[in-house]
Amino acid sequence: MVNLEDLKKEAKQILKDEKVKYIIGYKKGVNGLMPVPAFIKNPEDVDKLVWDPTCVYNLTLFIVDEKRRKAREKNPDERPVAIVVKGCDSRALIVLLQEKFIDRKDVYILGVSCENTGVLDEKKLIKKLKGKKAEKVEFDEKDNFVVFTQEGKVKIPAEEILAERCLECKANSPVIYDVLLGEKVERNINNPFKSLEITEDLSEEKKWAFWKEHLDKCIRCYACRSVCPMCYCDECVVDTISFAVTADTSAEEKAQKIKWVEKSPVSSENFVYHLVRAIHLAGRCIDCGECERVCPMDIPLRLLNKKLEKEVKELFDYDAGFDPDLPSLISCFKDEDPEDFIR
Amino acid sequence: MMAEEFEPKIVAFLCKWCSSAGSDLAGVSRMEYPSNVLPITVMCSGSVSPLYILSAFNRGADGVLVSGCHPGDCHYIKGNYYARRRIALINKLLEYIGLEPQRFQMSWVSAAEGTKYTQIIKDFVKELKPLGPQTKLRKDL
Repeated sequence: MVNLEDLKKEAKQILKDEKVKYIIGYKKGVNGLMPVPAFIKNPEDVDKLVWDPTCVYNLTLFIVDEKRRKAREKNPDERPVAIVVKGCDSRALIVLLQEKFIDRKDVYILGVSCENTGVLDEKKLIKKLKGKKAEKVEFDEKDNFVVFTQEGKVKIPAEEILAERCLECKANSPVIYDVLLGEKVERNINNPFKSLEITEDLSEEKKWAFWKEHLDKCIRCYACRSVCPMCYCDECVVDTISFAVTADTSAEEKAQKIKWVEKSPVSSENFVYHLVRAIHLAGRCIDCGECERVCPMDIPLRLLNKKLEKEVKELFDYDAGFDPDLPSLISCFKDEDPEDFIR
Repeated sequence: MMAEEFEPKIVAFLCKWCSSAGSDLAGVSRMEYPSNVLPITVMCSGSVSPLYILSAFNRGADGVLVSGCHPGDCHYIKGNYYARRRIALINKLLEYIGLEPQRFQMSWVSAAEGTKYTQIIKDFVKELKPLGPQTKLRKDL
């Protein structure tokens, strides 16, 4: 089990030694159970750090932000940024390293192992507690979570309230790290693509009906894009707004700027947006499930990405985010790639 | 009056170095094939972005064809290998959301294969006709 004190000790030490610029971690939230991201600069503040099953967020997003901020600074601080990562988040870092978006020396990785469990799904927990309000959740020795409510504590088997993605997790401990807290535990997942079973087996018409029902709800708030650490393009194809029209812009330039997708949240445009996002994440998505968590309309976005993860595995035997030295999926090929669909 | 038969619209992304020349060959050899195709010449099948394909469906294509050089024949050495990977994924994704798989095709057509090109178009049109117009991804603004 991860000892929080060890994490704090390590964090304090690297801040005291001025080895890192700051630490990105989790701290107690102001509103209820869920924590918030913490950015710790002073060794005194290290005690704010928490690590428990509510730490669901993928903090690597802030590494992407940090890179942008650094690029704008005149005399940037070249020290690395320390970040607390779970197994899944560490895979996100690997994808960023693989794509040379960040450099290994830019990050100091404090890996925390989820061991036999993972992080919880807030919705599942609320359902499970039937109205009681959870104040704190802790890991237990075995595969249980201990939930503290006002009426005392309850032990709940982890798999009942684990996030969907944790039930299909391929990396329960960090793949890449500078310091590892907790143990590397072998865990066998017999079906890593279980969540796909329902939608995959549907008939063509039902599949369409399923996705139409969900994607029609999309209000195009782009929360999924904002929260995704892989969506780091400076200019997104769905934003026509990023083309600045000035007095000097010629008619020809305006005509050549293609508008791929309309902004209006109607079915056809929503489909283009979500399909393009899914394709752009193929072989890159590490299934942190953040897109689905932040979606205000409860669209099962994870399934789209998971489906491509499965196809990538089956067609090209490729797993995203395990080897930083491997080229990314779309920038390499094998002679024996399947081509039975080609005439 | 007789009801008019449905004529599918096909958008074909043809590689400049092979398939496009192949379609030219079919033309200059006066081979007959359905006129349902709107050919778009691209520099390489590897340059076909997934967005082109989705966009074609979005603007009302009933079928989309991407055609490039045979493996090993790419003018840019390996563009068609990249295309093969990418197109396989789009294929699976479109199938997963419930678009009829027949609506999206990929083929290898060399500059000498005018006959193969006409055959592919003939087959494609024949497969698309019973499906009717593609309305799923079509812009409905």
